[in-house]
Amino acid sequence: MESPIYYSKSEFIETDTGNKVSRRATIAGPQNIILGGKTIISSGAIIRGDLRQSRPGHAVVISLGRYCLVGEGCVMRPPYKTYRGTFNYYPMKIGDHVHIGAGSVVEAATIGSHVEIGKNCIIGKFVIIKDCAKVADNSIVPPNTVIPALSFFAGSPAGFVEDLPESTQELVESQTKQFYQRFQPLDRDR
Amino acid sequence: MAPSVLYHCPCFSRHLVPPPPHLASSSHSFHPLHTLFFCEECDAVRCNRCVSVEVSGYYCPNCLFEVPSASVRAEKNRCARNCFMCPNCRNTLSVVPSDPPDVGDGRIAPISTVGEPPFFLYCSHCRWDSAEVGITFEKPTGLAAQLQKSEDSAPDSLEFERLKEHFDPIIRASSLSSSSSAVPSSAAHSHHLHSTSITAAASAALARDIPGVGRYNPLSRSGRGTGSKDRSANKDEMPDYKSRMDATTASKMGSGGGLPDVEFMRHLENVSDVASLEQRWSYSWATSLQTKDLKPLRIPLHSKRSKRCPACTHILIKPEQKAQSVRYKIKLVAANYLPAISIALPHQVEKFGHASAEAAKRPYGKATVLTDEEKEAMSGLLAGETYPFHVSLTNPLYDPIQVKLSVQRMHVAAPSSDPGTASEKARRPPFVVSLSTTPFSVAAFAEAWEYDEDDDILDDDELEARLSGREKEPKPKTKTVGILEKRANITVVGGEVMLRKEARGNVKFNMLVSYTYRADDAPADMGSPSKSKAPATKTFAFYTVVELGPIIPREETRIDVDT
Repeated sequence: MESPIYYSKSEFIETDTGNKVSRRATIAGPQNIILGGKTIISSGAIIRGDLRQSRPGHAVVISLGRYCLVGEGCVMRPPYKTYRGTFNYYPMKIGDHVHIGAGSVVEAATIGSHVEIGKNCIIGKFVIIKDCAKVADNSIVPPNTVIPALSFFAGSPAGFVEDLPESTQELVESQTKQFYQRFQPLDRDR
Repeated sequence: MAPSVLYHCPCFSRHLVPPPPHLASSSHSFHPLHTLFFCEECDAVRCNRCVSVEVSGYYCPNCLFEVPSASVRAEKNRCARNCFMCPNCRNTLSVVPSDPPDVGDGRIAPISTVGEPPFFLYCSHCRWDSAEVGITFEKPTGLAAQLQKSEDSAPDSLEFERLKEHFDPIIRASSLSSSSSAVPSSAAHSHHLHSTSITAAASAALARDIPGVGRYNPLSRSGRGTGSKDRSANKDEMPDYKSRMDATTASKMGSGGGLPDVEFMRHLENVSDVASLEQRWSYSWATSLQTKDLKPLRIPLHSKRSKRCPACTHILIKPEQKAQSVRYKIKLVAANYLPAISIALPHQVEKFGHASAEAAKRPYGKATVLTDEEKEAMSGLLAGETYPFHVSLTNPLYDPIQVKLSVQRMHVAAPSSDPGTASEKARRPPFVVSLSTTPFSVAAFAEAWEYDEDDDILDDDELEARLSGREKEPKPKTKTVGILEKRANITVVGGEVMLRKEARGNVKFNMLVSYTYRADDAPADMGSPSKSKAPATKTFAFYTVVELGPIIPREETRIDVDT
């Protein structure tokens, strides 16, 4: 029933697993980034896969699950800290069905599945977001915050507002799947 | 605003018909489908307002530790580990060593288990730190235990302990009496079923005689006088409580508006030196007005809750034991029983599609996102026009259902329509909705359709269907009312709304949805009215409120309505 969201076919690259990545997105260090499939990276997004741990060998810096959306102009940057005198970046792991709104900056350590992050949010370093949580638009989540499962956070600094309904998981799952289906290339139509 | 559908929960009201939708009170009894529950025993919808809630477990929202209920009370519902809240901005505090090795480069100090003692608590949001209020720690672990000493000697916790000591024998006595004599009488009230000793004590305290106030006797209503004895016993036992500290002396500590506070205010140079009400009111004791006296707060615990039907006390929601699990042992949500209804206005869908297509064609435009204002402007319904709308019903049951929709007529329910906006003009409803009332079927739900992962064929088919549907959309002007589309477990029916010229406000109407399904297990269903012989069918009816959007009055300039 919902109207399709069109994109120009020349802008997006579609992978075998159904990931759609905008050519206008900045993907640094793509060999260190994992996309689970059917994940959309919108134009203007910046994903810093190049900020990897300093130890040698292959390392996964940012991993995203299935049916994720990285909104327009988002910045995904792995968190860093100096531990015992050595500076290091730490990997960022994001589950399935996670939507990140346009203009948000994410430096979280872990984001669970079925998480919604609003527009223009700042998710600080080493934030842990559990499953089915939701962050309102324009929220500032300070570093090291833990957002428990099924809770709605808002404000600056973001704080607990209310519990989300028990069926959030199904709701978010169908919404993210629907969004992927609505996201269609324009050239097929004309 | 996109068109929306909300579902009605009667919440034990005798009026099964919801209030007319244009009244403000109407929103109270309507909820989104996914927040509702469904009791199989009572065959009724339940909402968060009417279910009875029980705590099934406690956890700290910061360290996610599951706290056993025995220690919850001892720790006064707060986390007893290393979790503290910033008294200034409510952010969680982190422990930092006093001399971080990288303090020079201006970054936030690292959270490290090694470092120079003393350690202190630091807020990474507002940069408050506990050294300001003189709280430091010898080691970075077990902070709550280290703080325990100073907390226990604080006047508020001493007072609280004394209060507890004072009321403890009374609670114990009333719990004894409630278990022996009060239970049979209170069992008549369903909400007394789970009364604990504390609620018994509280109700005993409430039932005490107050001079000059009429005597309230809840038990006499149920025609029993058994409770009077133990209540009077309670009254006699209750000695007067004498506080440790006099209220007048307490104010000297800088809270009651005494001279010290006046002095402080007089020399005030910075507004932020005064702690705001929000910063102060979560303390159990009247605290100082000054920001510099605020102490770090232990983080209050959260709970996982199970929910019961208020009528039959069957469990509707029972979470898994693990605090951060989002699975449920029992989960009876309405979305699994009632058809999901979504409403769309084809002219809006068309416009959004065009707009996003336009945006995609532009080489360096903002690609697909429409601002809310743009959507608002496009979604308006012009007064005096007629608009088709689509109602799509998704069947969650494994059996096909027969659905009948009927629109509740506004002027029947509300003889004086919208009082605020168009009271004198509109004796008539501002719009007329036409919707076919003939029953139609919605096919059964089958898991197979859920699997859109590996069957690209179906995906493509659906895509094709949708695209071709979009192409044809302007053509079938002939048929806007009636069944438009059937696929999988979804049926789309069309309706039409005709707006009057002088219409104002929102297009919002109540819609009764009744559906008939085959009752595969037809056991003791006491109250179900329609039950035939061999293929037993059941009918369930519920109200919804449909909101199509705001009406743009005639006088306004026609914005972008031409297609």
